[in-house]
Amino acid sequence: MNILIIGNSAAGTAAIEAIRHQDKRCSVVQLSDEAQPLYSRCLLAYYLSNATDEKGLLFRDPDFHEKMNVALHAGPGFRAVGLDREQRAVLCDNGQRFVYDRLLIATGSSAKLPKHVPAHMGGVFMLRNLADARAIKAKLPSVKRAVVLGGGLIGIKAATALAGLGIKTSIVVRSNLILSQMIDFDASRIITRLLEEKGIEVMYQTQALEVLTRHGNVTGVETDTNGRLECELLIGAKGVQPNTQLLEGTGLDVPWGIRTDAYLTTSDPTIFAAGDVAETFDLTLETHTVNALWTCAVQQGRAAGLNMVGKQTVYDGTIGMNSLNVYDTSIISFGVSSPKDESLYRMEILNQPELGVYKKIVIGHDNRIKGIILVGHMENAGVLLSLIRKKTDVSSFQDQLVSDGFNFGTILKHSDPEEMERYLNRRLV
Amino acid sequence: MKKIVCHIQNCLSCRSCELACATAHSRSKVLHEALREEDLPKHRVRIEYVDEKGELQRVRAIAVQCLHCEEAFCAQACITGGISKDVATGATVMDPEKCVGCWSCIMVCPVGAVVKDEMKKHALKCDLCPDLDSPACVAACPTGALVFFDEDEAAPDGAEICRRDEAAGDTAENGGDRL
Repeated sequence: MNILIIGNSAAGTAAIEAIRHQDKRCSVVQLSDEAQPLYSRCLLAYYLSNATDEKGLLFRDPDFHEKMNVALHAGPGFRAVGLDREQRAVLCDNGQRFVYDRLLIATGSSAKLPKHVPAHMGGVFMLRNLADARAIKAKLPSVKRAVVLGGGLIGIKAATALAGLGIKTSIVVRSNLILSQMIDFDASRIITRLLEEKGIEVMYQTQALEVLTRHGNVTGVETDTNGRLECELLIGAKGVQPNTQLLEGTGLDVPWGIRTDAYLTTSDPTIFAAGDVAETFDLTLETHTVNALWTCAVQQGRAAGLNMVGKQTVYDGTIGMNSLNVYDTSIISFGVSSPKDESLYRMEILNQPELGVYKKIVIGHDNRIKGIILVGHMENAGVLLSLIRKKTDVSSFQDQLVSDGFNFGTILKHSDPEEMERYLNRRLV
Repeated sequence: MKKIVCHIQNCLSCRSCELACATAHSRSKVLHEALREEDLPKHRVRIEYVDEKGELQRVRAIAVQCLHCEEAFCAQACITGGISKDVATGATVMDPEKCVGCWSCIMVCPVGAVVKDEMKKHALKCDLCPDLDSPACVAACPTGALVFFDEDEAAPDGAEICRRDEAAGDTAENGGDRL
């Protein structure tokens, strides 16, 4: 059997490991448009702040593909540009054609600059891949001031990394909170204060109208509310979108990402999708969505890999989950952390802004946890996540969920004998 | 693989395991010297109260440490590739050199077994004391609540634990029936 994998990051790697766990012999070919050895995208901000080096970015040993007996074709020429479902073949930019019996599309997602930001201007960057991070680093010696467009996860990570290097940094945010995908207004206020204490300026309800340039280099940003911000470095961090260009005109079901079922199969049974490009069922939203997150990509890649070699494995579904450190404060969130219609939920909240602590548990009418925000105290985040995953009725201990004493012992007390039995046998998950 | 199991009805919550764990992971490996180490050693096992009064079928507390899950969520979540499964022992192994302190492992650990080293920005967890014959917590447990056993040799339904139960005189007749 010929397995073809497009993409060489979290999902593709997890798929390879799952495939080789089951089948040492089948042919596995992998395509990637990035020539770099397998590295971790999530570490790019750590690389920028010098918390890790290029060696530290490597996600697996350099001989990983060799050991896994995978033929990796990597480089700009190996960007997949065409898919022929009839012939079961993928066409690359350099004209090479690869046939498959089973195809995994793990092409990931891309960051996009806002329309009015000139992409090829000196000092204008995104922080999406290693090439971006290297280019930003090369530029840094001539940078005194930086502007980050967007207050999402990447924007905040980039801003704290730059500020840590002594660069005066401003974050321009369209809405009235940062990390809006992750946390709510109250938590956002705590994080904003942490950023401001370190000299980072957060400009809410502000839009960049125009990027100012001189001799091909960025010199500043004209905003609608705060006038002109001078800068030598501009980072666009306005979210990502799935890389689905390959699928245009193929007839595959691609509403936003590539729609997949519980086996990560697309509408074509020979084609699988995983990672940032895939739409999977979200356990808290109770609908299909793209969760462009590392952990989700690994879990999806693993399940897809197992299913591709015939080891039928149900993927329970995805849960939005993020972990972020803003200086010494840790933030973790899950699922629907800031629901639009609050009447559908009840909340358990512990708000201690003076201590930098905020916890919120969003519970549905069915007594199941739908979303969680933890700021400051997050040591038992995974215990709470397991309650979401297992769809545990939390009504009997709901009031303890945000208390400092909440831990695994708390849920053990409220678990049924069968659950306790499983724990005693260490077969919890 | 060999795993540490807490027979929770025997756990007195005396925290001997926590002390022994911290000592075993100290520089000196001796309690009274470890206390004076500049970077205080951290324990990777934690006593958590299930029912302080012990009214719940005498279950009082449990010693919680890494379960070395077969499908390790922490290894799936780790953004550095620094958590892996040891093929030979089945242990879930962390490489502190790779860790950047993103706490993704804490985000997904179903029992909360990952400990933060705030100073070094490293995640810590039970390593099963690879250099010792028996993990320090198990050796230190005065009631035999913590046991180190090979799950491949024990009966799959946990009968092994029941046998230890009876050996300790803790049988159904005296109210020590397992939940």
